[in-house]
Amino acid sequence: MWAGRGKTAVVGIGFSQLTRTHERPLGQLAIEACRAAIADAGIEPSRIDGLATHPDQPFRGAGNRAGEDLVPAAFLIDHLDIGPEVEWYAQVSAGLIPSAIIEALNALMAGACTYALVWRAMHRPAGTYGAWREPFAGGDSQFTAPHGYTSPFQLHAVAYQRYMHRYGATREEMASLVTNSRANAQLNEAAFFNGTPMSIDDYLAARMISEPICLFDCDIPVEGCAALVLTTAERARDLPRPPAYVAAWGQHTAPRPTYVNYMLDDYMACGASTAGKLWSRSGLGPGDVDAAQLYDGFSPSTYYWLEAAGFCPEGEAHAFVQDGRIALGGELPVNTFGGSLSEGRLHGMGHIAEAARQVSGRAGPRQVEGAEVSVALDGSPLLRGGGLLFTREA
Amino acid sequence: MTPSEQADGRSPNRPRPVLDALSRAYWEGAGRGELAIQRCEECGHYQHPPRPLCERCASADFGYPAVSGRGVVHSFTTNHQRNVAGFEQAVPYVNLIVELEEQPQLYLLSDLPAGESDWVASGAPVEVVFEPIEAAEGEAIALPQFRPAGG
Repeated sequence: MWAGRGKTAVVGIGFSQLTRTHERPLGQLAIEACRAAIADAGIEPSRIDGLATHPDQPFRGAGNRAGEDLVPAAFLIDHLDIGPEVEWYAQVSAGLIPSAIIEALNALMAGACTYALVWRAMHRPAGTYGAWREPFAGGDSQFTAPHGYTSPFQLHAVAYQRYMHRYGATREEMASLVTNSRANAQLNEAAFFNGTPMSIDDYLAARMISEPICLFDCDIPVEGCAALVLTTAERARDLPRPPAYVAAWGQHTAPRPTYVNYMLDDYMACGASTAGKLWSRSGLGPGDVDAAQLYDGFSPSTYYWLEAAGFCPEGEAHAFVQDGRIALGGELPVNTFGGSLSEGRLHGMGHIAEAARQVSGRAGPRQVEGAEVSVALDGSPLLRGGGLLFTREA
Repeated sequence: MTPSEQADGRSPNRPRPVLDALSRAYWEGAGRGELAIQRCEECGHYQHPPRPLCERCASADFGYPAVSGRGVVHSFTTNHQRNVAGFEQAVPYVNLIVELEEQPQLYLLSDLPAGESDWVASGAPVEVVFEPIEAAEGEAIALPQFRPAGG
């Protein structure tokens, strides 16, 4: 068992407004989210002495100007009224936000800081998201772009097609997963699609992007920011809100092929590499989890996480998500906040915030009654993601 | 899509490959009508795209022998989104992942020659064909594509 189990906690959560278009500089939204998280923690901003983020934007041509379309640590040092004595900061260069949170947890346990602020600020560009515009293709892109293959949804499409072929999964089955997330978003006022329900027929009628990926298999890109305040368990006990204790973290360390060849088996190997660390470090297992927040930048990723983390046998997630099993009140509530599919694309921060809320009893109308353990597993799982396991008790 | 539709200007204006030290043998081989795949001289492992080191034994000693060009469709997708410059008029078009017969999990991403795409299915046997293109610096190379084996 990991010596760090229960030694750190999430004590504050804050979101900015999530908008579909770039109406305000991203830096303003980040300040809004960070101030909300600090206020939620019940501390003065001057107590923040550690900072961590993954500032990059996940598509070509964005992330050019601090405060406009990306928010690095230096921007918050300059513009947030935190203490003059920031002791430590980190910016992870690749991967989703778990890597930045893991840095902050380790810094807290090492005594490098006392209250750490972690944020993820996402820019939503004008025009077609992530389109390829260049006439030339170098590096690994020379093996993809000349064939018209450049986008994450295309990579996901071939792996999901393989999944459907191998296991006999259908789009009707996926409709259960996607509409479950949309239903949960109706209980989350911060969700972009709060107020916009989706029926099974709506899902099945959506236009195709790259078969079998349709529009509603893709998360909804938003402009916005989510932020967390983390501290040690000792300090957390003196704060006004119930803490969400960190029982374990995990990063995927499996060999990773070039994106030219992302295959179904690679998604599964990377997911197992990440989730396995959570179980071995915490002494807990998938059967202990009361609510699971499983990344859904594209909906098939949730299938891969369900299987790779051991919530169901390999090849059976498409059946597992039926019959209300993943709904609130079901055997394993999944993406209780709506997921990236319905809350908005915060690159995994929404999943972590929700896992923390569930174990601290702060999930409001979507609270899983008596939730003691909740997990957030971020990443495709192939992209360099990670996971966090939270518990109600230290 | 039908050949006549392709002739009506639906053929893509493809992004042009920027050849580098690792990729040149692959593209120049395709220009000669050969599918030249990087192969480790130490352990015989094939890998694609070409990499600086052998992913199995870490050797840096490579050859680029011509392989058979035969394989099976591992997976595929039909693209409807106008998301790649030069492919706007080509939608819907197919991308496929071919598992080459020389080695398990030796994959090659490709697309289809102008013409019928109805035959594409997981497990379908295929063989390579070559579409002449220009590389970034104007070199005459070719793009490996696939059609039904024996077709």
